[in-house]
Amino acid sequence: MRQKRQKDNRSLRIYRRKTVALLFFALLVFISLLELIPVERNFSEKENRSLQTRPRLTLQSVASGTYMEQYEAFRSDQFLGRNLWGSLKTQMDLLTGKRESNGVYKGKDQYLLEKIARADQKKIEEDLGAMEEFKVRYEKIPMYFALVPNAANILEDKLPRFAVTEDQREIFGSISRKLWEGITWVDLSKPLGSHSTEEIYYRTDSHWTTLGAYYASRQLVETMGLDAEKTPEWEKHVVTNIFTGDLSLKSGYQSGYQESIYIYTAKKEKDMPQIVVDYGEGKISTLYDRTKLKERDAYDLFMGGSHGLTDIRTTADTTERLLLVKDSYANCLIPFLIPYYREIVVVDPEYYEGNLDEIMDEKKISSVLFLYNGNTFVQDDKLNGVLQSGKAEQISE
Amino acid sequence: MISGLFDSVVFLFTFLPVVLFLYCLMPGQLKNALLLLASLVFYAWGEPAAVFLMAGMILFNYAWGLHIAGILKNRRRARSGVIICVAVNLGILGFFLYGRTVISALNMALPVQIPFQGYALPMGMSFYTLQMLSYVLDVYRGEVKAQKNPADLALYVAMFPKMPGGPVVRYSEMEKQLKARQMSLVKIGEGAMFFIRGLFKKVIFADNIGLVHAQIMSLEAGQVSVLSAWLGCAAFALKIYYNLSGYTDMAVGLGKMTGFDFPGNFDYPYLAGSTTEFWYKWHMSLGSWFREYVYHPLGGGDVEETKQVRNILLIWLLAGLLHGMSGGYIVWGLYCGLLMVAEKLFLWRMLDRLPGVLGHIYSIILVMIGWVFFFQPVPLKAFAYVGNMFGVGANALADDLGMYLLVSNLVLLIIMVIGLFPFVYKIYENVMDRGGRGKALINCMIYGVMFVLCVAYIVS
Repeated sequence: MRQKRQKDNRSLRIYRRKTVALLFFALLVFISLLELIPVERNFSEKENRSLQTRPRLTLQSVASGTYMEQYEAFRSDQFLGRNLWGSLKTQMDLLTGKRESNGVYKGKDQYLLEKIARADQKKIEEDLGAMEEFKVRYEKIPMYFALVPNAANILEDKLPRFAVTEDQREIFGSISRKLWEGITWVDLSKPLGSHSTEEIYYRTDSHWTTLGAYYASRQLVETMGLDAEKTPEWEKHVVTNIFTGDLSLKSGYQSGYQESIYIYTAKKEKDMPQIVVDYGEGKISTLYDRTKLKERDAYDLFMGGSHGLTDIRTTADTTERLLLVKDSYANCLIPFLIPYYREIVVVDPEYYEGNLDEIMDEKKISSVLFLYNGNTFVQDDKLNGVLQSGKAEQISE
Repeated sequence: MISGLFDSVVFLFTFLPVVLFLYCLMPGQLKNALLLLASLVFYAWGEPAAVFLMAGMILFNYAWGLHIAGILKNRRRARSGVIICVAVNLGILGFFLYGRTVISALNMALPVQIPFQGYALPMGMSFYTLQMLSYVLDVYRGEVKAQKNPADLALYVAMFPKMPGGPVVRYSEMEKQLKARQMSLVKIGEGAMFFIRGLFKKVIFADNIGLVHAQIMSLEAGQVSVLSAWLGCAAFALKIYYNLSGYTDMAVGLGKMTGFDFPGNFDYPYLAGSTTEFWYKWHMSLGSWFREYVYHPLGGGDVEETKQVRNILLIWLLAGLLHGMSGGYIVWGLYCGLLMVAEKLFLWRMLDRLPGVLGHIYSIILVMIGWVFFFQPVPLKAFAYVGNMFGVGANALADDLGMYLLVSNLVLLIIMVIGLFPFVYKIYENVMDRGGRGKALINCMIYGVMFVLCVAYIVS
């Protein structure tokens, strides 16, 4: 009896090992064969970076080992179902208690919050220096600098328990102290902070909501001394309520949460000037591109996404012309600025190849507003370039 | 991701299936040749230039081994022969280990600049040099015959399963296996389980807890709380254990798939009751190499006490130097050596009188303090870190960052600490081996899921 049991156990031991051997080979072969399917993507929207494509085989790159490194990166970047594997990892991380992924916190109440980016002092000083030189060249034209705090700053209480991130108040404080006094600092932390219990940031997106932009616009009207009488009575309309933002994709925290996007229009139509918008691809008469609602990033509804140079002419009864140098945060704020300007020239340095001096002269700009969100500003590397004097360059050529 | 290691897409889904497939097809006498070829490709994939260095060193030791075997009868000639051989091997290893540091130090000190920077240490070089020395020394002692076939010697040195992380096998252990070994589906299954466990240890445990350690190391002085300092140190202690033992398991697993039996390398070291015991259970193959080829030839434990003390300190100095020329490694080596001496002289007797649990706590804390010098190679910073652990220079007992890292990794930490004990694995094996076929399928599913999770972490 005992002997028989021992024999049974032995054959089970063998059986268990054999099955694992077969399973292991099956997995290796199955995944290896799947890997042979040639699909190549150049860009990962999820990680917002280019993917490694098949490297070129040369004797030199093999000898130095760069070929092997690139090939490893290529195989991992082009792994079949990469995003699916990524979601599996995120789910595992969540299970073990991790509350951040790819620079995004999974906060309370379904909030996804981007980490506050660390400020590189030298870069910021160079940017502020370039802004100062720019201002000196156009001494008579008033200039304003507004930084929008990010959600992780204003909605600190929504961060996961104990989570710490860079102190954006401190970063903003240091920037405003270093900013040359010829440029007016617009403090947006106050108007946003005092409405922090309202829906001023999307829960699944890195941007502020239209409501957040609205509060900021009131502060801008005040600080920039705009004609408050032109301010219409705003009315909000929901344009979608199935919006899932970019942070959901970036982090892999795909909880299925959907939220609404609002746009604001004047209650009385006559209070809002007519507009002609030119992205450089023909003229249209709206600031919204509703076709984008069906696309992956529905925030591109505003201004149809980011463009290098956009020219907006209005029928507003004024001669003021604004140059707005901005990032994507400004896209949903621009409608609130329309009533006060004859023309708004919008430059997004990220996509703009030209130079601000050309615009300043050509368009007879009467004031300049720099508007960025904190994270983009401290990480941006394009602003400095567009601020450089175009005239000096011509001389040196 | 690093080329030439096991946790990569290329290794798992191109190299390994192709090699295993061909290996099974090959007739017996060609299996070694295939494995050698695969090992050279594996090494060249990570170190395209240094593969020639390794090949050169293997040929040198092959020739020298035959030469020593031929003059064995003349002890004096054989002795000087083996000394030259050891000196050449260590000289080459030393050049790669310390060349950069020495040259940059010379450049600082001398008025002229040396137009040469030295080279980085090629992967696996310390270990394969030790293994070649083991071969030459075993031949010199007459314990093994010189290997006539250079390919078999090359396979012993360069075998890809043990290239990234050991074990450091002795030639005498491998001699028979190189000639003939058993292969079976059962052994392959055993190997697959070892491999998947090892991969899991490395990819899921070591890499993830390593992130905690890295985050704490990136803090500036004054931002570290007592909690963070201990958490960072514990994270490193866990990371290095799971990393090294994971690589060993993968090596053992790959070995079994190709018919080899490598010795284990870690015997639940964190459960040791003293630091001496800890080092007996840590990286055992390296420890036994040092005992066999350094400690015993110097007289071992049979000589008078002062010499024993000298020998222990010497070995630890060597162990520190083996990791590179940096103050931290030397301090770490001396620290471990002095502790071992103290235990030998009096601490052991004291520990014996205390309840067992205190011995374990004593051992873990002192080993962790030792790790600080290991992960912080600048001694002054390491001392500051140890200070932080005991409240000197720390910003608080516990701060938000420490709490956040603790809470968001708590599950991982708990599982990893449980994994330091043998009981989970023992119970699992017991249950599984007594169960019916259903349990075998459950076992399959568990290993399958583990492997799939590893792939998810490797790809992302």
